[in-house]
Amino acid sequence: MGCVASLAYAATPEKVLHLELSAAETGFDPVATSDLNTAAIEQQLFEALLTYDYLARPVRLIPRLAATMPVVTDQGKTWVFTLKKGAYFCPDPVFKGQLREATAQDVVYTIMRFMDPKNRSPYKFLVDGKIIGLDELGDEARKSGRFNYDASIAGLEVLDRYTLKIRLKTTDYNFSHAMAQPMYGVVAREVIEAYAGDTASHPVGTGPYRLGRWIRSSLIELEKNPNFRHELWDFGATHSGSDPALGSDPKIANSEDARVIAQMKGKTIPQIDRIDIQVIEESQSAWLSFGKGELDMIGLAGQFSPMALTGDRLKPALVQRGIRLDRLIDPSIAYYFINQQDPVLGGMSRERIALRRAIFMAQNDEEMIRVIYKGQAFRNAYPIPDGVEGSDPNYRSVLNYNPREANHLLDQMGYAKGPDGYRRLPDGKPLSVRYTTSLSSQDRELDEMMKKSLDRLSIHFESEKLKFPEIIKAERQCRVQMRLSGWIADYPDGDNFMQLWYGPHIHENNGSCYQDPVWDRLYEKTLTMPASLQRDKIYRQLARLLELNGVTKVSTSHIRNVLSQPWLLGYKAHPILPSVWSYLDIDDTQRPKP
Amino acid sequence: MTTTMRSPGLWTLAWRRLCRDRVGIVSLWVVAFYFGVVLMALGGWLAPDWTREVGVNYAPPTWWMGAQESEDAPAAPTTAQANVVADLYGLQDPLASEFAVMQAAYPNEVGLPPEPPRMQTLPLGGDKWGHDVLTKLIKGSQTSLLVGFVAALVATALGTLFGAVAGYFGRWVDDAFNWLYGVFTAIPYLLLVFAIAAVLQQRGVVTIILILGLTGWTGVFRLVRAEYLKHKSREYVLAAGAIGASNMRRMFVHILPNVSHVILVQLSLNVVGFIKSEVILSFLGFGVPVDVVSWGSMLNEAQNELILGKWWQLAAAGLAMAVLVTAFSMLTDALRDALDPKLKQ
Repeated sequence: MGCVASLAYAATPEKVLHLELSAAETGFDPVATSDLNTAAIEQQLFEALLTYDYLARPVRLIPRLAATMPVVTDQGKTWVFTLKKGAYFCPDPVFKGQLREATAQDVVYTIMRFMDPKNRSPYKFLVDGKIIGLDELGDEARKSGRFNYDASIAGLEVLDRYTLKIRLKTTDYNFSHAMAQPMYGVVAREVIEAYAGDTASHPVGTGPYRLGRWIRSSLIELEKNPNFRHELWDFGATHSGSDPALGSDPKIANSEDARVIAQMKGKTIPQIDRIDIQVIEESQSAWLSFGKGELDMIGLAGQFSPMALTGDRLKPALVQRGIRLDRLIDPSIAYYFINQQDPVLGGMSRERIALRRAIFMAQNDEEMIRVIYKGQAFRNAYPIPDGVEGSDPNYRSVLNYNPREANHLLDQMGYAKGPDGYRRLPDGKPLSVRYTTSLSSQDRELDEMMKKSLDRLSIHFESEKLKFPEIIKAERQCRVQMRLSGWIADYPDGDNFMQLWYGPHIHENNGSCYQDPVWDRLYEKTLTMPASLQRDKIYRQLARLLELNGVTKVSTSHIRNVLSQPWLLGYKAHPILPSVWSYLDIDDTQRPKP
Repeated sequence: MTTTMRSPGLWTLAWRRLCRDRVGIVSLWVVAFYFGVVLMALGGWLAPDWTREVGVNYAPPTWWMGAQESEDAPAAPTTAQANVVADLYGLQDPLASEFAVMQAAYPNEVGLPPEPPRMQTLPLGGDKWGHDVLTKLIKGSQTSLLVGFVAALVATALGTLFGAVAGYFGRWVDDAFNWLYGVFTAIPYLLLVFAIAAVLQQRGVVTIILILGLTGWTGVFRLVRAEYLKHKSREYVLAAGAIGASNMRRMFVHILPNVSHVILVQLSLNVVGFIKSEVILSFLGFGVPVDVVSWGSMLNEAQNELILGKWWQLAAAGLAMAVLVTAFSMLTDALRDALDPKLKQ
């Protein structure tokens, strides 16, 4: 069947989508993924049980590998998923030429991998402490050094080849969102075992694409999965809300949906034969490539927004070329964190807390928004951004820009200036702050910003430059002293953000390596609560504790501006899905001929 | 009464020949001007603090202001964020007592102090933070020239030492140094520099000097080795050996002065090459750290500014570098002519 499909593709001109990634991928084993760029690719290679409707706003879950939405009983503690029949993994030598269908047992194996201590998964938090019997398997593996994937547990029960029953310890209102993450894309056990030690290079999923040529940190080619089932593009316009921050109204949004539907309705998924993704870390290069038509779509970096935008609209010259702008507020935060285990800046003594708070109070976010992001971001002090359940637009930070007060605080706590004019620790030892960024020119601007901030406090600045995958690795090992990090919603609930500071998530997503029993207890309380005023009240306490203890300063949220070429059909920016490439098409007649 | 006429020495003759070369003299003045600026900057008389933000963001050059369109008007300086009394949501602030003391000590400090006024235009314009491009240019010349000269000294010293030892001793010593030379020259120069820069991780002027110095000795080595091969069998060296001069003395007291003109010209060529290399390294993000300004870091910043139509930083750094490199190259040519005994009139 796969061969027949391949011959059919060869008969028609190949449609190629040209894209860029602003940071290098980190490998394609979903269990080890935590960054958005890699997740965007895995969204195309693997399929989770559920996904988000492409057009519906607010976002809505729909089945993906599942045939229908799960049947939920027992007050949200029992979930029964039925898989689609005929969902095949892409061809791989491990299958010895046979078609390999995804089954309920594969889903069980996929979920179990997240609890295998060997994998140290950053997305373990989505199932950790939730499924009956699974934590015990993880504990056992920690003792024995081997995870027993053959064990049968009450929480993961295979009812038949296509049906799976998941039993949770307590009600979890976000479990369906967990099952929609690309990291939970289903894998085949024999593939993982065959490529043990190098699973990141051998992604074998049931998604619409498979990995073709791959030059690490440079080029990723995705080609159609010849075994992908027959599926039609069938989304409907269900926009029911407006985006007050951007001033859009439902009528405009629905007319945009109508355009997308007219372009795509009834087409087979995917329409594009190959996706060429180049890693272009310098946004200037990406912008110039897009201008020449070499890229079909780019996320417009803030620094180039004056070139493309007048206010929130596309410049007339670009409109004339047929270029389209998709603009939305990203459900994301940018936040400074300081490693709480760092020997110089970490710890919970009052001196250290004062030092960290002073550093945060020296950060001028408004200037950063104006100078670096060129107005394509806004001040947001709360860990949960707008558009996500639990956000609080009325939250007021205690870490606002105030270098004068920050200096008084440091003076009072004994951080006296030495003969060189720079402050020293109260015990007289030298004090410097190491700030980690990547090699891109925008990150050099962030270095300059941090240098200015620390100069305001007379604190030595040290720059640590690493490639993005190395930064992630160092962060997980609690080796980063201070960083401006970012997080975009995997699902539209505040829990997805608050988990970033949960003690047991150290070495996973808790880059600040913060472990505070008071904070952890409060957070654990929220895990069993539905979205409610009561939960929001605890979230506000959690956010305030992060500030009072000098752990984090939430700085900004960003506006996403995506530019697409006139020949790209069916594009609409999605706030949650990391990529939507399989839902697109290309009208090659409009593409300029080389 | 008889008088003895002292014949002019090598350096006197060279100086006289250089003085007759008009292009060489002009180049010498240009280079001397740059060095004067660098010395004044080092002494703190010029551009004492390039990090001061004196202009508005992207302040245009004063002379060009009239030609600017209104939509490019510079942005207003930073506004202070208001102090807000925040709800603690029933939590205890661990620094409550410290803040209480501060409030008592500074009761009149509400909000932020007003920022000093900023210039709307600057002589050569301003960068995105409002730094004066002219001040950056002066400080940048200090870094670039320092890197160029010290790295050239390191490379020339290494190349001279290796070349002298290899050429004088010959045999397996020569083979060993030639092997090392082969290894270094087999790798494309810039790739070698990037590889070492990536491995070292630590950024700074000293790192760049080391990288350039340790990779740039090969050209000097090749020439000095050839000169030593030629000179070691000449009569004056054999005579020095006959009266008991040691190998070291013969190499560095007798032969070295006779090959110094070659070394001097190579040193000069290396300075030009290393100034350009520093610019390339900094442009590509492997160069000086963020608290140091160089022409390369200015060009790096300017790559994004140019696309926004802010060309003045690029123009200033590019022009300053072009003038120095051209003048230095011409001076090197003039020096080569002046020092070449075959051109003696």
